[in-house]
Amino acid sequence: MVYFILKRMVQSVFVMLAVAFLAFSLFRFVGDPITQMTGVETSVADQERLREELGLNDPFVSQFMRFTGDMLKGDFGFSYRTRQPVADMIADRIPATLELGVVALIISLVVGVPAGVYTALKPRGVLTQTILMTTLVGVSIPTFVIGIMLIFIFGVQLGWLPTFGRGGTVQIGSWESSLFTIDGWRALLLPAITLGVYQLTLTMRLVRAEMMEVMRSDYIRFAMARGVPMGRLHYKHALANTMVPVITIIGLQFGGVIAFSIVTESVFQWPGMGLLFLESIRFVDIPVMGVYLVVIAFFFVLVNLVVDLLYVAIDPRLRISDVS
Amino acid sequence: MIALLKKYEGLWLFVHSPAAIVAAMVAVLIFLGAVFAPWVALVNPYDLSSFSLFDGLLPPAWQDGSNPKYLLGTDDQGRDMISSILYGARLSLVIGLSALTIAAILGVGLGLAAGYYGGRFDAVVMRIADVQLALPAILTALLIDGIARGILPAAIQQDLRVAVLTLAIALSLWVNFARTARASTFVQMNKEYVQAAIMMGQRPTRVMFVHILPNILGPLLVILTVDLASAILLEATLSFLGIGLPADSPSLGTLIRIGMQFLLSGEWWILWIPTLFLVALVVSINILGDFLRDIFNPRLR
Amino acid sequence: MLPLKLAVLGGALSMSALAASAETFRWASTTDPQTMDPHAVNSAPVLSFLNNIYEGLVRRGQDMSIEPSLATSWEPLEGENGWRFKLREGVTFQNGAAFTSEDVLFSYQRASDEAADVRSWFAPVTDMRVVDEFTVDFVTSAPNPLFPDSIANFMILDKDWAEANDAALPARDAENFATMNVNGTGPFTLADRDPGVRTTLAPNGAWWDDASHNITEAVFTPIGNSATGLAALLSGEIDFIQPIPLQDVAQVESRDGFKVLEGEETRVIMFGFGHEHDTLLYSSDVTDANPFTDPRVRLAAAHALDIASIDRVLFRGKIEPASQLVPAGISGFSEANQNRPDYNPDRAKELLAEAGYPDGFSFGLKCTNDRYINDEALCRAAASMFAAVGLNAELSTGPVRDYWPQLREDDFDMYLLGWSPGTFDMEHPIRFLMHSQDDSRKLGSWNFGNYSNARVDELLPMVQQEIDPAARQSMIDEIIAITQDEVAYIPLYTQPLIWAAKDNVELTQRADNFFMLRWVTVN
Repeated sequence: MVYFILKRMVQSVFVMLAVAFLAFSLFRFVGDPITQMTGVETSVADQERLREELGLNDPFVSQFMRFTGDMLKGDFGFSYRTRQPVADMIADRIPATLELGVVALIISLVVGVPAGVYTALKPRGVLTQTILMTTLVGVSIPTFVIGIMLIFIFGVQLGWLPTFGRGGTVQIGSWESSLFTIDGWRALLLPAITLGVYQLTLTMRLVRAEMMEVMRSDYIRFAMARGVPMGRLHYKHALANTMVPVITIIGLQFGGVIAFSIVTESVFQWPGMGLLFLESIRFVDIPVMGVYLVVIAFFFVLVNLVVDLLYVAIDPRLRISDVS
Repeated sequence: MIALLKKYEGLWLFVHSPAAIVAAMVAVLIFLGAVFAPWVALVNPYDLSSFSLFDGLLPPAWQDGSNPKYLLGTDDQGRDMISSILYGARLSLVIGLSALTIAAILGVGLGLAAGYYGGRFDAVVMRIADVQLALPAILTALLIDGIARGILPAAIQQDLRVAVLTLAIALSLWVNFARTARASTFVQMNKEYVQAAIMMGQRPTRVMFVHILPNILGPLLVILTVDLASAILLEATLSFLGIGLPADSPSLGTLIRIGMQFLLSGEWWILWIPTLFLVALVVSINILGDFLRDIFNPRLR
Repeated sequence: MLPLKLAVLGGALSMSALAASAETFRWASTTDPQTMDPHAVNSAPVLSFLNNIYEGLVRRGQDMSIEPSLATSWEPLEGENGWRFKLREGVTFQNGAAFTSEDVLFSYQRASDEAADVRSWFAPVTDMRVVDEFTVDFVTSAPNPLFPDSIANFMILDKDWAEANDAALPARDAENFATMNVNGTGPFTLADRDPGVRTTLAPNGAWWDDASHNITEAVFTPIGNSATGLAALLSGEIDFIQPIPLQDVAQVESRDGFKVLEGEETRVIMFGFGHEHDTLLYSSDVTDANPFTDPRVRLAAAHALDIASIDRVLFRGKIEPASQLVPAGISGFSEANQNRPDYNPDRAKELLAEAGYPDGFSFGLKCTNDRYINDEALCRAAASMFAAVGLNAELSTGPVRDYWPQLREDDFDMYLLGWSPGTFDMEHPIRFLMHSQDDSRKLGSWNFGNYSNARVDELLPMVQQEIDPAARQSMIDEIIAITQDEVAYIPLYTQPLIWAAKDNVELTQRADNFFMLRWVTVN
């Protein structure tokens, strides 16, 4: 057990290093930060001097060593564009993205799990076919089109909900939250639905598949034969058994939600990490881009690790080779 | 014998599934339109002299101020919408299918080998897959795009946009194939026919590709279909974020990006017709994917 | 029945939204000012925004004219080149400190330091000195009649405040106090700043000038996505947005309660050529020559362009065709040369045949896709028009972040460029775009194709030093005539300036696209 945990952690460190290298080498090669940092009338000589000062002329390896070393020390550098510490910029944006992601995930669960159970129990019903068809269409529309449609209908035409930003936020320590005001919730609704639709479909299909699988298992058939009431059978025994793999996947989905929030945040001008990332791509703000990639990868690896450990904790019979 | 029965059963199910029939018809129509675009389209959107700005922004034929020559209207450059969409679908499908081919070859090859050899090789492949999974598809595509922009000379970047985009999508999809192939191979490895082939001293490549591969095609086919839909959507999303294809090589995603500018302006057809078309294409592919999944996983029926 | 009920409910909700915004003015633009430091970055979003907080010695009025600000008057120095500025007395910074000539000296040193991005403004200045508490001299290397006009964006900081907070120099690769905090003399002060999200300004009650606005609080939000921005205006969340896409003008105008403000920006959009290249880089048929070195070929390209159709379809009738590199109304505009080559594809084909290319040729056209209004669509349309006369453009478009490096590396046959004269005078584009490249003297630094004409090079210093307006204008007329005759560039049109606001907002649209809160009234 201890060996397994250690092994998993070493692997995670390996993954993080690889991602750091990728992130760094990518941004070492993209665009020219100097042209972004300086104005129209800056002379070529001044640009060259700045390039030298920032160490952009150093060899690749020493730049990477400096990048990784600084990062391990918790020094994420300064943005080329705003000249602020990147760590602060990203930290400021984390609450917005996390709240959006969590609410989107909750929407996908609250709708997705019951829908999955229902469609599994009544596979031939008209409602089931309708739900399946709707989700199929939902998953086939690009996220950004869904967002724009919602803005157009609920923002511009009906004027019910705000179309951009976070609305009223409340500062709790260093965490800026939009969950404690009505205004904040109104602003959160459309982006969260947009982001949640895709996950909702995944969740529903997963629950449905697992549920159908479990309903066919010997264990449920025995229970049925013993005369356990159907309602109890469905919700206590069957659903409980589907939850382990479902929770696993949901954990992993959370990473996807965070990453896909790039698109949603762009459409709704939601001031989270994804929007910051897109802005930094636009302005070739290398330090911000690099740190964002590493932070996202860190989220993924962390969730992955926790899920793996949970898995083993719940079901020790599972061997590691079956888990991945 | 069993394969034959399965085949017939699949056909039987297909004939009795109206959704699958409609989806297949839509998909086939779009495929045909895309393949024969150069012969059926009114203008060639790549040939700048075949259209004129003078015809720009004409509405579809049933609206006032339209020109019957352009059934679904024209865009802001004077290009016939139908022609743009046919060529766009062509490009989207070329990108999607090539990306899938690359992803499938890479993923299935690695997955088969990992499942067959196991041990250290398996561990290395799976760790690479972990790194890949730690960067979601959209970020992978951004990365590849950025690397290409950084290391390729500007002169040839334009010509390589399609290749770069294809590679970006391929690299974000191969893991699905690898994992599925690996898991299925593990199962097959314990089967007697595989053990027998190994004991008879057959070469590993032969065992993998001649014996194991045909028996794991089912789940791979499902992934292939579902991922084709993902690839097309991913291309559209990347184009929306402005890192996909330029406007003069209009894929469906690029057409939607261009159409976005007309969301509020009244020229609704420039946005919504390509969008409808894209959604119809992806929905059909997804329905077929679902159908295939049901066939290859009969327990879910 | 249901839709009606929904509409009533919607009405009630949006009314409450309106009521909430009555005391506060909310506006949006595409880009966030990246810093609050007036000397750190020479970019329009920063300078425009900070002009609400900081002030210069001079400022521009609603019609772009130069008027007194922190200086009350100025005159040429006696016996040497340069200018003397008399400063306004009794002005205080927002923290209460008094404004004196020491602050001007400090700000000059700060803004002309190597760490400052705006130091090129002071390239002609050789010395600056304090005469007394309210008088300063700027000494220049040569007579410089336009110097006062060139420093309208040179903003004055409080010396003691900057030094006390370790912000004596602009921050370049790390933040400092002035990145996030301000202390100016202007009509507004910073109340709250959340970079990239929201910036809140409050009126400066102690401002020296009469406030003509009625704003009690102003909230700025950057909205990068233009559809989202317009949706925010139409759903009532913001009062004003700059700019809006051309194609949405009709939509905004058709709605009750909103209005569109239209004007001409001073930016002229043009095509440039690789004058110096021996061969075409992107041609599939002409590989041993550069046809664009022949003025007839360049003129043919100009005749191929149908500006009227571009205007009607792409710009909805909002552009003004351009004959030279500044629009009419800018000082130095050459009235004598205000005709541009007409749309004449037949003449274009004739010219190509005369030049030895009866069947035309192919070449590479480089364009941005995120820098100017409709830049990508313009280039696609232009490529289609070029193709009609046999000029087969291989169009390549890209984001501006990759664009300037490509142009600097001479990687083009023909390219798109927009130019706004920073000094609002014709001398500016002559210096940057028409004079031969000369790195040591910082001349021709944006003349990517290195158009070169000895007479133009000879005339530029004379224009810069000439005090007599008529003599100066005749020299400029000569330059414009030469460059038009040789088709140094193909000027296309002046970029339009389209803002949108709620009906109850009165504001002034200045031609440099700067938005000044001090001219806003909310009724």
